[in-house]
Amino acid sequence: MKKPIALLLVLMMIVALAAPSASAADETELIVFAAASMTETMNQIKELYEAAHPGVVLVYNFDSSGTLKTQIQEGADCDVFISAAPKQMNQLDASCDAEKNPDGLDFVEQGSRINLLENKVVLAVPEGNPKGIESFDQLAELLKAGDVFLAMGNSDVPVGQYTQKILAFYGLNEEDLAKAGCITYGTNVKEVTTQVSEASVDCGIVYATDAYSAGLDSVDAATAEMCGQVIYPAAVLNVSKNPEEAQAFLDYLTGEEATAVFESVGFSPVEKETASQKEVSLSQSGS
Amino acid sequence: MIDLDWYPLWNSLRIAAISCVLVFFFGIFFAYYAARLPRVLKGILDVILTLPMVLPPTVCGYFLLLVFGVKRPVGMFLLQYGIKFVMTWYGGILAASVVAFPLMYRTARGAFESFDKTLAYSGQTLGLSNTYIFWRIRMPACRQGILAGTVLAFARALGEYGATSMLIGYTPGRTATISTTVYQLWRTNDEKGAMFWVLINLAISTVVLLTVNMLEARQKKAVKA
Repeated sequence: MKKPIALLLVLMMIVALAAPSASAADETELIVFAAASMTETMNQIKELYEAAHPGVVLVYNFDSSGTLKTQIQEGADCDVFISAAPKQMNQLDASCDAEKNPDGLDFVEQGSRINLLENKVVLAVPEGNPKGIESFDQLAELLKAGDVFLAMGNSDVPVGQYTQKILAFYGLNEEDLAKAGCITYGTNVKEVTTQVSEASVDCGIVYATDAYSAGLDSVDAATAEMCGQVIYPAAVLNVSKNPEEAQAFLDYLTGEEATAVFESVGFSPVEKETASQKEVSLSQSGS
Repeated sequence: MIDLDWYPLWNSLRIAAISCVLVFFFGIFFAYYAARLPRVLKGILDVILTLPMVLPPTVCGYFLLLVFGVKRPVGMFLLQYGIKFVMTWYGGILAASVVAFPLMYRTARGAFESFDKTLAYSGQTLGLSNTYIFWRIRMPACRQGILAGTVLAFARALGEYGATSMLIGYTPGRTATISTTVYQLWRTNDEKGAMFWVLINLAISTVVLLTVNMLEARQKKAVKA
Protein backbone atom coordinates (compact mmCIF):
# COMPACT_ATOMS: atom_id res chain seq x y z
CA MET A 1 0.00 0.00 0.00
CA LYS A 2 2.84 2.42 0.81
CA LYS A 3 5.05 1.75 -2.25
CA PRO A 4 2.49 2.62 -4.97
CA ILE A 5 1.60 5.86 -3.17
CA ALA A 6 5.23 6.89 -2.84
CA LEU A 7 5.77 6.07 -6.52
CA LEU A 8 2.75 8.16 -7.49
CA LEU A 9 3.99 11.16 -5.52
CA VAL A 10 7.44 10.93 -7.09
CA LEU A 11 5.88 10.74 -10.57
CA MET A 12 3.73 13.81 -9.83
CA MET A 13 6.80 15.75 -8.76
CA ILE A 14 8.73 14.76 -11.87
CA VAL A 15 5.87 15.84 -14.11
CA ALA A 16 5.53 19.14 -12.28
CA LEU A 17 9.24 19.89 -12.58
CA ALA A 18 9.60 18.75 -16.17
CA ALA A 19 6.63 20.62 -17.64
CA PRO A 20 8.02 24.19 -17.78
CA SER A 21 11.24 23.21 -19.56
CA ALA A 22 9.23 21.82 -22.45
CA SER A 23 8.85 25.31 -23.99
CA ALA A 24 10.98 26.31 -26.98
CA ALA A 25 14.25 28.15 -26.34
CA ASP A 26 14.70 29.60 -29.84
CA GLU A 27 12.22 32.45 -29.61
CA THR A 28 12.88 35.87 -28.12
CA GLU A 29 10.50 36.61 -25.30
CA LEU A 30 9.64 40.29 -24.93
CA ILE A 31 8.12 41.08 -21.57
CA VAL A 32 5.87 44.13 -21.70
CA PHE A 33 4.44 45.72 -18.57
CA ALA A 34 1.48 47.82 -19.65
CA ALA A 35 -1.24 49.75 -17.86
CA ALA A 36 -4.44 47.75 -17.37
CA SER A 37 -6.36 50.16 -19.60
CA MET A 38 -4.33 48.91 -22.57
CA THR A 39 -5.38 45.27 -22.23
CA GLU A 40 -7.65 45.01 -25.26
CA THR A 41 -5.51 47.03 -27.64
CA MET A 42 -2.22 45.41 -26.67
CA ASN A 43 -3.71 41.95 -27.12
CA GLN A 44 -4.79 42.90 -30.64
CA ILE A 45 -1.35 44.31 -31.37
CA LYS A 46 0.27 41.13 -30.07
CA GLU A 47 -1.43 39.14 -32.82
CA LEU A 48 -0.36 41.61 -35.49
CA TYR A 49 3.22 41.91 -34.24
CA GLU A 50 3.84 38.22 -33.71
CA ALA A 51 2.51 37.46 -37.18
CA ALA A 52 4.87 40.01 -38.71
CA HIS A 53 7.82 39.03 -36.52
CA PRO A 54 7.99 35.26 -36.08
CA GLY A 55 10.59 34.45 -33.47
CA VAL A 56 9.33 37.11 -31.09
CA VAL A 57 6.83 36.18 -28.41
CA LEU A 58 5.17 38.97 -26.47
CA VAL A 59 4.45 38.30 -22.82
CA TYR A 60 2.21 40.81 -21.12
CA ASN A 61 1.70 41.88 -17.55
CA PHE A 62 -1.36 44.17 -17.21
CA ASP A 63 -2.03 45.92 -13.94
CA SER A 64 -2.22 49.38 -12.42
CA SER A 65 0.87 51.39 -13.36
CA GLY A 66 1.68 51.82 -9.69
CA THR A 67 1.72 48.06 -9.17
CA LEU A 68 3.89 47.60 -12.27
CA LYS A 69 6.33 50.30 -11.18
CA THR A 70 6.70 48.53 -7.82
CA GLN A 71 7.29 45.21 -9.52
CA ILE A 72 9.99 46.74 -11.75
CA GLN A 73 11.55 48.39 -8.75
CA GLU A 74 11.59 45.04 -6.95
CA GLY A 75 13.53 43.46 -9.81
CA ALA A 76 10.91 41.94 -12.10
CA ASP A 77 12.09 41.00 -15.58
CA CYS A 78 10.74 43.55 -18.03
CA ASP A 79 11.72 44.89 -21.44
CA VAL A 80 9.13 47.58 -22.15
CA PHE A 81 7.06 49.64 -19.71
CA ILE A 82 3.97 51.60 -20.72
CA SER A 83 2.46 53.63 -17.90
CA ALA A 84 -0.96 55.31 -17.76
CA ALA A 85 0.54 58.50 -16.36
CA PRO A 86 3.92 60.23 -16.45
CA LYS A 87 4.17 59.92 -12.65
CA GLN A 88 5.10 56.23 -12.57
CA MET A 89 7.54 56.53 -15.48
CA ASN A 90 9.16 59.56 -13.83
CA GLN A 91 9.70 57.54 -10.68
CA LEU A 92 11.86 55.13 -12.68
CA ASP A 93 13.60 57.72 -14.87
CA ALA A 94 17.05 58.81 -13.70
CA SER A 95 16.86 61.94 -15.86
CA CYS A 96 14.03 63.25 -13.67
CA ASP A 97 14.80 65.40 -10.66
CA ALA A 98 14.44 64.29 -7.05
CA GLU A 99 10.93 65.70 -6.82
CA LYS A 100 9.62 63.39 -9.52
CA ASN A 101 11.98 60.51 -8.79
CA PRO A 102 12.28 60.54 -4.99
CA ASP A 103 13.99 57.16 -4.71
CA GLY A 104 16.51 58.02 -7.43
CA LEU A 105 15.67 54.90 -9.43
CA ASP A 106 17.29 54.26 -12.78
CA PHE A 107 15.35 51.80 -14.89
CA VAL A 108 14.52 53.74 -18.03
CA GLU A 109 16.81 53.35 -21.02
CA GLN A 110 17.71 56.97 -21.74
CA GLY A 111 16.67 58.12 -25.18
CA SER A 112 13.95 55.48 -25.57
CA ARG A 113 11.21 57.26 -23.63
CA ILE A 114 8.35 58.65 -25.67
CA ASN A 115 4.83 59.89 -25.00
CA LEU A 116 2.85 57.19 -26.73
CA LEU A 117 -0.84 57.85 -26.27
CA GLU A 118 -3.41 60.24 -24.92
CA ASN A 119 -6.57 59.10 -23.19
CA LYS A 120 -9.56 60.78 -21.58
CA VAL A 121 -10.96 60.31 -18.10
CA VAL A 122 -14.71 59.74 -18.18
CA LEU A 123 -17.62 59.22 -15.82
CA ALA A 124 -19.12 55.81 -16.56
CA VAL A 125 -22.48 54.51 -15.39
CA PRO A 126 -24.06 51.05 -15.32
CA GLU A 127 -26.59 50.02 -17.94
CA GLY A 128 -29.75 52.07 -17.60
CA ASN A 129 -28.01 54.70 -15.46
CA PRO A 130 -30.08 53.86 -12.34
CA LYS A 131 -28.97 56.94 -10.45
CA GLY A 132 -29.53 59.26 -13.41
CA ILE A 133 -26.07 60.84 -13.28
CA GLU A 134 -25.42 63.06 -16.28
CA SER A 135 -22.24 65.01 -15.58
CA PHE A 136 -19.23 65.54 -13.36
CA ASP A 137 -20.90 68.72 -12.03
CA GLN A 138 -23.91 66.69 -10.95
CA LEU A 139 -21.66 64.04 -9.44
CA ALA A 140 -19.93 66.72 -7.37
CA GLU A 141 -23.31 67.88 -6.03
CA LEU A 142 -24.35 64.32 -5.18
CA LEU A 143 -21.01 63.67 -3.44
CA LYS A 144 -21.41 66.83 -1.35
CA ALA A 145 -24.85 65.59 -0.32
CA GLY A 146 -23.46 62.11 0.38
CA ASP A 147 -26.07 60.70 -1.96
CA VAL A 148 -24.04 58.61 -4.40
CA PHE A 149 -21.76 55.55 -4.41
CA LEU A 150 -18.69 56.11 -6.58
CA ALA A 151 -15.99 53.63 -7.59
CA MET A 152 -12.54 55.06 -8.22
CA GLY A 153 -8.96 53.79 -8.45
CA ASN A 154 -6.92 54.01 -5.25
CA SER A 155 -4.11 56.53 -4.90
CA ASP A 156 -1.58 54.12 -6.42
CA VAL A 157 -3.55 53.86 -9.66
CA PRO A 158 -3.15 56.60 -12.31
CA VAL A 159 -6.88 56.86 -12.96
CA GLY A 160 -7.30 57.17 -9.20
CA GLN A 161 -4.78 59.99 -9.18
CA TYR A 162 -6.65 61.76 -11.99
CA THR A 163 -9.87 61.28 -10.04
CA GLN A 164 -8.27 62.88 -6.99
CA LYS A 165 -7.46 65.90 -9.16
CA ILE A 166 -11.06 66.08 -10.31
CA LEU A 167 -12.31 65.90 -6.71
CA ALA A 168 -9.89 68.68 -5.77
CA PHE A 169 -11.12 70.71 -8.77
CA TYR A 170 -14.62 70.62 -7.28
CA GLY A 171 -13.33 71.45 -3.83
CA LEU A 172 -14.31 68.05 -2.41
CA ASN A 173 -12.39 66.44 0.42
CA GLU A 174 -11.65 62.82 -0.47
CA GLU A 175 -11.14 61.72 3.12
CA ASP A 176 -14.50 63.11 4.24
CA LEU A 177 -16.21 61.42 1.32
CA ALA A 178 -14.50 58.14 2.12
CA LYS A 179 -15.52 58.38 5.78
CA ALA A 180 -19.09 59.02 4.67
CA GLY A 181 -18.93 55.76 2.72
CA CYS A 182 -19.45 57.40 -0.68
CA ILE A 183 -16.32 56.00 -2.30
CA THR A 184 -15.13 52.48 -2.94
CA TYR A 185 -11.58 51.89 -4.13
CA GLY A 186 -10.44 49.54 -6.87
CA THR A 187 -6.83 48.33 -7.18
CA ASN A 188 -6.73 48.97 -10.92
CA VAL A 189 -8.92 50.55 -13.58
CA LYS A 190 -10.32 47.20 -14.73
CA GLU A 191 -11.62 46.46 -11.23
CA VAL A 192 -13.42 49.82 -11.21
CA THR A 193 -14.80 49.11 -14.69
CA THR A 194 -16.08 45.71 -13.58
CA GLN A 195 -17.77 47.21 -10.54
CA VAL A 196 -19.62 49.64 -12.81
CA SER A 197 -20.52 46.88 -15.29
CA GLU A 198 -21.90 44.73 -12.50
CA ALA A 199 -23.92 47.72 -11.24
CA SER A 200 -22.34 47.24 -7.81
CA VAL A 201 -21.87 51.02 -7.69
CA ASP A 202 -23.81 54.05 -8.99
CA CYS A 203 -20.95 55.24 -11.20
CA GLY A 204 -17.20 55.00 -11.70
CA ILE A 205 -14.40 57.14 -13.03
CA VAL A 206 -12.40 55.27 -15.68
CA TYR A 207 -10.74 55.96 -19.01
CA ALA A 208 -12.75 56.49 -22.18
CA THR A 209 -11.04 53.44 -23.64
CA ASP A 210 -12.11 51.20 -20.75
CA ALA A 211 -15.69 52.43 -20.94
CA TYR A 212 -15.72 51.77 -24.67
CA SER A 213 -14.18 48.31 -24.38
CA ALA A 214 -16.59 47.28 -21.63
CA GLY A 215 -19.59 48.72 -23.46
CA LEU A 216 -20.33 51.19 -20.70
CA ASP A 217 -22.13 54.51 -21.07
CA SER A 218 -19.80 57.39 -20.40
CA VAL A 219 -21.92 60.41 -19.55
CA ASP A 220 -19.18 63.02 -19.24
CA ALA A 221 -15.49 63.48 -20.03
CA ALA A 222 -13.05 65.38 -17.81
CA THR A 223 -11.39 68.41 -19.34
CA ALA A 224 -7.66 69.08 -19.16
CA GLU A 225 -8.52 71.81 -16.65
CA MET A 226 -10.02 69.26 -14.28
CA CYS A 227 -7.34 66.60 -14.26
CA GLY A 228 -4.62 67.59 -16.67
CA GLN A 229 -3.74 65.76 -19.86
CA VAL A 230 -3.81 61.99 -19.67
CA ILE A 231 -0.54 60.99 -21.29
CA TYR A 232 0.78 57.45 -21.52
CA PRO A 233 4.61 57.38 -21.66
CA ALA A 234 6.40 54.29 -22.93
CA ALA A 235 10.05 53.29 -22.64
CA VAL A 236 12.52 50.46 -22.99
CA LEU A 237 14.03 49.53 -19.62
CA ASN A 238 17.77 49.37 -19.11
CA VAL A 239 17.35 45.97 -17.41
CA SER A 240 15.96 44.56 -20.64
CA LYS A 241 17.55 41.35 -21.83
CA ASN A 242 16.60 42.14 -25.45
CA PRO A 243 17.05 45.89 -25.89
CA GLU A 244 17.05 45.86 -29.73
CA GLU A 245 13.88 43.82 -30.03
CA ALA A 246 12.34 45.96 -27.30
CA GLN A 247 13.15 49.18 -29.18
CA ALA A 248 11.84 47.64 -32.41
CA PHE A 249 8.55 46.85 -30.63
CA LEU A 250 8.36 50.37 -29.23
CA ASP A 251 8.90 51.79 -32.73
CA TYR A 252 6.14 49.53 -34.00
CA LEU A 253 3.75 50.95 -31.41
CA THR A 254 4.13 54.43 -32.93
CA GLY A 255 3.58 53.09 -36.44
CA GLU A 256 0.41 53.15 -38.53
CA GLU A 257 -0.91 49.66 -37.78
CA ALA A 258 -0.62 50.00 -34.02
CA THR A 259 -2.01 53.53 -34.04
CA ALA A 260 -5.09 52.31 -35.91
CA VAL A 261 -5.71 49.71 -33.18
CA PHE A 262 -5.28 52.28 -30.41
CA GLU A 263 -7.57 54.79 -32.12
CA SER A 264 -10.28 52.15 -32.55
CA VAL A 265 -11.00 52.15 -28.80
CA GLY A 266 -10.55 55.85 -28.18
CA PHE A 267 -6.84 56.47 -27.63
CA SER A 268 -5.22 59.39 -29.48
CA PRO A 269 -1.63 59.14 -30.63
CA VAL A 270 0.75 61.77 -29.34
CA GLU A 271 2.95 63.22 -32.09
CA LYS A 272 6.46 61.78 -32.17
CA GLU A 273 8.57 64.48 -30.55
CA THR A 274 12.04 65.80 -31.18
CA ALA A 275 14.54 65.76 -28.32
CA SER A 276 13.89 69.39 -27.37
CA GLN A 277 10.11 68.92 -27.34
CA LYS A 278 10.63 65.90 -25.12
CA GLU A 279 12.50 68.00 -22.57
CA VAL A 280 9.71 70.56 -22.52
CA SER A 281 7.01 67.96 -22.04
CA LEU A 282 9.03 66.09 -19.41
CA SER A 283 9.32 69.25 -17.36
CA GLN A 284 5.59 69.90 -17.69
CA SER A 285 4.37 66.39 -17.07
CA GLY A 286 4.50 64.36 -13.91
CA SER A 287 2.75 65.24 -10.70
CA MET B 1 -5.01 58.49 3.70
CA ILE B 2 -7.16 56.82 6.33
CA ASP B 3 -5.64 57.66 9.68
CA LEU B 4 -6.45 55.57 12.71
CA ASP B 5 -9.88 54.54 11.57
CA TRP B 6 -10.91 51.61 13.77
CA TYR B 7 -13.70 50.47 11.53
CA PRO B 8 -11.80 47.54 9.95
CA LEU B 9 -11.23 46.00 13.39
CA TRP B 10 -14.86 46.23 14.44
CA ASN B 11 -16.04 45.10 11.00
CA SER B 12 -13.68 42.11 10.79
CA LEU B 13 -14.60 40.95 14.29
CA ARG B 14 -18.33 41.14 13.77
CA ILE B 15 -18.12 39.44 10.37
CA ALA B 16 -15.95 36.67 11.83
CA ALA B 17 -18.16 36.25 14.91
CA ILE B 18 -21.46 36.11 13.01
CA SER B 19 -19.99 33.82 10.35
CA CYS B 20 -18.62 31.58 13.07
CA VAL B 21 -22.04 31.24 14.71
CA LEU B 22 -23.79 30.59 11.38
CA VAL B 23 -21.16 28.09 10.30
CA PHE B 24 -21.28 26.38 13.72
CA PHE B 25 -24.97 25.55 13.39
CA PHE B 26 -24.94 24.79 9.67
CA GLY B 27 -21.77 22.75 10.04
CA ILE B 28 -23.09 20.47 12.76
CA PHE B 29 -26.48 20.24 11.09
CA PHE B 30 -24.97 18.98 7.85
CA ALA B 31 -22.37 16.84 9.58
CA TYR B 32 -25.08 15.06 11.59
CA TYR B 33 -27.56 14.50 8.79
CA ALA B 34 -25.08 13.83 5.98
CA ALA B 35 -23.97 10.71 7.82
CA ARG B 36 -27.47 9.31 7.52
CA LEU B 37 -27.81 9.64 3.76
CA PRO B 38 -27.50 6.75 1.30
CA ARG B 39 -23.95 6.28 0.07
CA VAL B 40 -24.14 7.96 -3.36
CA LEU B 41 -26.02 11.00 -2.14
CA LYS B 42 -23.67 11.31 0.80
CA GLY B 43 -20.68 11.29 -1.57
CA ILE B 44 -22.08 13.98 -3.83
CA LEU B 45 -23.22 16.19 -0.97
CA ASP B 46 -19.85 15.78 0.68
CA VAL B 47 -18.03 17.02 -2.42
CA ILE B 48 -20.31 20.04 -2.81
CA LEU B 49 -20.03 21.00 0.84
CA THR B 50 -16.24 20.64 0.91
CA LEU B 51 -15.68 22.46 -2.39
CA PRO B 52 -15.22 26.00 -0.98
CA MET B 53 -12.31 24.74 1.08
CA VAL B 54 -10.52 23.34 -1.94
CA LEU B 55 -11.31 26.12 -4.39
CA PRO B 56 -9.18 29.28 -4.38
CA PRO B 57 -11.01 32.06 -2.52
CA THR B 58 -11.12 34.13 -5.71
CA VAL B 59 -12.97 31.32 -7.47
CA CYS B 60 -15.46 31.24 -4.58
CA GLY B 61 -15.76 35.02 -4.83
CA TYR B 62 -16.46 34.77 -8.54
CA PHE B 63 -19.22 32.21 -7.97
CA LEU B 64 -20.75 34.36 -5.26
CA LEU B 65 -20.79 37.33 -7.63
CA LEU B 66 -22.35 35.15 -10.30
CA VAL B 67 -25.21 34.27 -7.97
CA PHE B 68 -25.66 37.39 -5.85
CA GLY B 69 -24.52 40.11 -8.28
CA VAL B 70 -27.02 42.91 -8.63
CA LYS B 71 -27.67 42.09 -12.28
CA ARG B 72 -28.17 38.37 -11.67
CA PRO B 73 -31.57 36.75 -11.00
CA VAL B 74 -30.98 35.93 -7.32
CA GLY B 75 -29.32 39.31 -6.71
CA MET B 76 -32.16 41.21 -8.37
CA PHE B 77 -34.75 39.23 -6.40
CA LEU B 78 -33.07 40.01 -3.09
CA LEU B 79 -32.66 43.66 -4.07
CA GLN B 80 -36.44 44.01 -4.08
CA TYR B 81 -36.37 43.30 -0.35
CA GLY B 82 -33.53 45.72 0.15
CA ILE B 83 -30.96 42.95 0.56
CA LYS B 84 -27.75 43.43 -1.40
CA PHE B 85 -24.79 41.19 -0.68
CA VAL B 86 -22.51 43.06 -3.08
CA MET B 87 -20.66 46.06 -1.62
CA THR B 88 -22.20 45.75 1.84
CA TRP B 89 -20.67 44.68 5.14
CA TYR B 90 -23.04 41.74 5.56
CA GLY B 91 -21.88 40.48 2.16
CA GLY B 92 -18.66 39.83 4.02
CA ILE B 93 -20.56 37.43 6.28
CA LEU B 94 -21.72 35.50 3.22
CA ALA B 95 -18.20 35.30 1.78
CA ALA B 96 -16.59 34.32 5.10
CA SER B 97 -19.29 31.74 5.89
CA VAL B 98 -18.97 30.06 2.52
CA VAL B 99 -15.22 29.60 2.84
CA ALA B 100 -15.26 28.70 6.55
CA PHE B 101 -18.16 26.24 6.34
CA PRO B 102 -16.19 23.23 5.04
CA LEU B 103 -13.76 23.50 7.93
CA MET B 104 -16.53 23.21 10.51
CA TYR B 105 -18.38 20.61 8.49
CA ARG B 106 -15.42 18.26 8.01
CA THR B 107 -14.17 18.56 11.56
CA ALA B 108 -17.63 18.03 13.01
CA ARG B 109 -18.21 15.05 10.77
CA GLY B 110 -14.94 13.56 11.86
CA ALA B 111 -15.87 14.11 15.50
CA PHE B 112 -19.38 12.62 15.05
CA GLU B 113 -18.11 9.59 13.23
CA SER B 114 -15.73 8.69 16.04
CA PHE B 115 -18.53 9.15 18.56
CA ASP B 116 -19.20 6.03 20.58
CA LYS B 117 -22.77 5.17 19.55
CA THR B 118 -23.36 2.98 22.61
CA LEU B 119 -23.65 6.20 24.60
CA ALA B 120 -26.50 7.31 22.35
CA TYR B 121 -28.13 3.90 22.61
CA SER B 122 -27.92 3.98 26.39
CA GLY B 123 -29.64 7.32 26.29
CA GLN B 124 -32.40 5.90 24.14
CA THR B 125 -32.95 2.94 26.44
CA LEU B 126 -33.35 5.48 29.24
CA GLY B 127 -36.11 7.13 27.22
CA LEU B 128 -34.28 10.37 26.41
CA SER B 129 -35.36 12.41 23.36
CA ASN B 130 -33.16 12.63 20.27
CA THR B 131 -32.66 16.34 20.82
CA TYR B 132 -31.51 15.71 24.37
CA ILE B 133 -29.19 12.95 23.20
CA PHE B 134 -27.71 15.20 20.54
CA TRP B 135 -27.10 18.30 22.64
CA ARG B 136 -26.38 16.69 26.03
CA ILE B 137 -24.61 13.47 25.09
CA ARG B 138 -23.22 13.60 21.56
CA MET B 139 -22.06 17.20 21.55
CA PRO B 140 -20.20 17.12 24.89
CA ALA B 141 -18.59 13.84 23.88
CA CYS B 142 -17.38 15.39 20.63
CA ARG B 143 -16.37 18.58 22.36
CA GLN B 144 -12.73 18.52 21.23
CA GLY B 145 -13.51 18.15 17.57
CA ILE B 146 -16.34 20.68 17.65
CA LEU B 147 -14.17 23.22 19.43
CA ALA B 148 -11.33 22.67 16.96
CA GLY B 149 -13.73 23.14 14.06
CA THR B 150 -15.17 26.31 15.56
CA VAL B 151 -11.74 27.83 16.10
CA LEU B 152 -10.67 26.96 12.56
CA ALA B 153 -13.88 28.46 11.21
CA PHE B 154 -13.44 31.67 13.19
CA ALA B 155 -9.81 32.00 12.13
CA ARG B 156 -10.71 31.39 8.49
CA ALA B 157 -13.54 33.89 8.64
CA LEU B 158 -11.31 36.52 10.24
CA GLY B 159 -8.59 36.00 7.66
CA GLU B 160 -10.84 35.89 4.60
CA TYR B 161 -9.53 38.09 1.80
CA GLY B 162 -10.09 36.88 -1.80
CA ALA B 163 -13.81 36.21 -1.83
CA THR B 164 -14.45 39.16 0.50
CA SER B 165 -12.52 41.59 -1.70
CA MET B 166 -14.38 40.49 -4.82
CA LEU B 167 -17.83 40.52 -3.28
CA ILE B 168 -17.76 43.61 -1.08
CA GLY B 169 -14.78 45.57 -2.43
CA TYR B 170 -13.09 48.17 -0.27
CA THR B 171 -15.26 51.02 0.97
CA PRO B 172 -13.68 52.77 3.94
CA GLY B 173 -16.10 52.98 6.83
CA ARG B 174 -18.55 50.57 5.22
CA THR B 175 -17.00 47.34 3.98
CA ALA B 176 -13.31 47.55 4.93
CA THR B 177 -12.00 44.52 6.79
CA ILE B 178 -8.53 44.10 8.28
CA SER B 179 -7.38 41.97 5.37
CA THR B 180 -8.63 44.30 2.62
CA THR B 181 -7.32 47.31 4.54
CA VAL B 182 -3.82 45.85 4.83
CA TYR B 183 -3.77 45.19 1.09
CA GLN B 184 -5.03 48.68 0.30
CA LEU B 185 -2.56 50.39 2.64
CA TRP B 186 0.32 48.35 1.23
CA ARG B 187 -0.76 49.18 -2.32
CA THR B 188 -0.83 52.89 -1.54
CA ASN B 189 2.58 52.76 0.15
CA ASP B 190 1.31 53.33 3.69
CA GLU B 191 3.85 50.99 5.30
CA LYS B 192 3.10 52.19 8.83
CA GLY B 193 -0.62 51.75 8.41
CA ALA B 194 -0.24 48.28 6.95
CA MET B 195 2.11 47.19 9.76
CA PHE B 196 -0.33 48.56 12.36
CA TRP B 197 -3.13 46.34 11.12
CA VAL B 198 -0.84 43.35 10.71
CA LEU B 199 0.08 43.64 14.39
CA ILE B 200 -3.56 44.04 15.43
CA ASN B 201 -4.44 40.88 13.53
CA LEU B 202 -1.51 39.02 15.11
CA ALA B 203 -2.71 40.13 18.54
CA ILE B 204 -6.26 38.91 17.95
CA SER B 205 -5.13 35.59 16.54
CA THR B 206 -2.71 35.05 19.43
CA VAL B 207 -5.40 35.81 22.01
CA VAL B 208 -7.86 33.43 20.34
CA LEU B 209 -5.36 30.59 20.16
CA LEU B 210 -4.17 31.09 23.75
CA THR B 211 -7.78 31.05 24.97
CA VAL B 212 -8.49 27.86 23.09
CA ASN B 213 -5.37 26.19 24.45
CA MET B 214 -6.35 27.22 27.97
CA LEU B 215 -9.84 25.77 27.55
CA GLU B 216 -8.45 22.52 26.21
CA ALA B 217 -5.97 22.26 29.07
CA ARG B 218 -8.74 22.83 31.60
CA GLN B 219 -10.87 20.13 30.00
CA LYS B 220 -8.04 17.65 30.11
CA LYS B 221 -7.56 18.44 33.78
CA ALA B 222 -11.28 17.97 34.44
CA VAL B 223 -11.24 14.61 32.69
CA LYS B 224 -8.26 13.42 34.70
CA ALA B 225 -9.77 14.49 38.00
